[in-house]
Amino acid sequence: MTFSDETLLAYLNGNLDGTDAQEIESAVEADPELEQRLMALDPFAPVVHSVFKDVPQDAPQITLPDRARSQPASQPFRLLAVAASVAIVAVSATLWATRPAPLGWAQQAAIYQSLYVPETIATLDTAPEALEAQFAQAEATLGRPLNREALSALPGAELKRAQVLSFKGKPLVQVVFADDQGRPFAFCVIRQGPGAPDKDVNLAVLSGLATATWAEDGYGYMIIGADGQSDLSDRLTAFSEAIAS
Amino acid sequence: MSGEISSEQAVRGAIQTHSKRVWRFGLALSGARDVADDLLQSTCLRALERHHQVTSHDRLDSWLMTICRSIWLNEVRARSVRKAQALSVTPETELIATGPDSETNIFAAEVFTQVMHLPEAQRETVMLVFVEGYSYREAAALLEVPIGTIMSRLSTARQKLKTVMQHEAADAVRRGGK
Repeated sequence: MTFSDETLLAYLNGNLDGTDAQEIESAVEADPELEQRLMALDPFAPVVHSVFKDVPQDAPQITLPDRARSQPASQPFRLLAVAASVAIVAVSATLWATRPAPLGWAQQAAIYQSLYVPETIATLDTAPEALEAQFAQAEATLGRPLNREALSALPGAELKRAQVLSFKGKPLVQVVFADDQGRPFAFCVIRQGPGAPDKDVNLAVLSGLATATWAEDGYGYMIIGADGQSDLSDRLTAFSEAIAS
Repeated sequence: MSGEISSEQAVRGAIQTHSKRVWRFGLALSGARDVADDLLQSTCLRALERHHQVTSHDRLDSWLMTICRSIWLNEVRARSVRKAQALSVTPETELIATGPDSETNIFAAEVFTQVMHLPEAQRETVMLVFVEGYSYREAAALLEVPIGTIMSRLSTARQKLKTVMQHEAADAVRRGGK
């Protein structure tokens, strides 16, 4: 039995009914690979990890008795002790290195977007006046145009809403769309400042969603697909043209 | 002398390396930082006493966690529970590192509070899996419960955390809409 990332994510978000959830749980018992996939998709783990990772901020105090006297304190022994602690540090460094790093804007945006379901956008007010007001505000906050007309005319995408968010004090705009099947996907723009380096397109699955990120002229851009398998190449062309026009 | 390091050295090394994790786990179990201090100290002493039992130096972290939890369950919990209950009403959010962005700090404090308010079984599971990165089966072995129990505890915890995360999203919308 194989499960799609979408199903696993629905399970993680608590959106599967009891029988389906049960099915995943019993499959995981026998399938460590599925367990790893599920853990990697979990949108909650990186958030909780980032909150607790620096608790406590300083290494706690421990008082240990001196080393047992029967042990030789000769030079070779000390060297071995050093080797041992280096080995342990190396192991733990590896463990830490494989843990999630502090969340960047793209990861945070993906986590947020992963909570979206078709119902989230089904009843949004998409009257032209509403969108116009949202875009006016978003453009003012970002300090650049967003070309609403071009974004409204993208193939297979129905413009639903533009909203102003913020990441570490930087203005971040999320423009959310419905795809052909009414599923939410998003285009995000963050103002990173004139000194920020340009970055080529990077494709990654974040929080179970296919994403494309790039940066240009002080702004970061991101497309967040409706699921983990979405092919973003057409969207990528469409959005970069829309935003450039 | 053989090329192998002594088990005492390995345990001492592991204590230094994993002290924060054990302390954090002690905090998750007890809900109180002074109890976490005591739990860490007792865990380290107990581990040193028992270094002869160490056969593999691989997973000394989970061995330390197991010792910590057994000290909590068998020796500390009964006398700390009243205190822990009182403290869990106001979790020690000042433990969280604060960054320059106050909204991020508020969100972190909310997540911290929500995790610390989870019932003990969910809290220890969330700590081991979400924070310390143990797999479901590792956490199941450590807590001596079936893997299905780990998964259902996490599901319940996620439902509670979802509320905070959705509030955060709603706040972001409100801030954007002001």
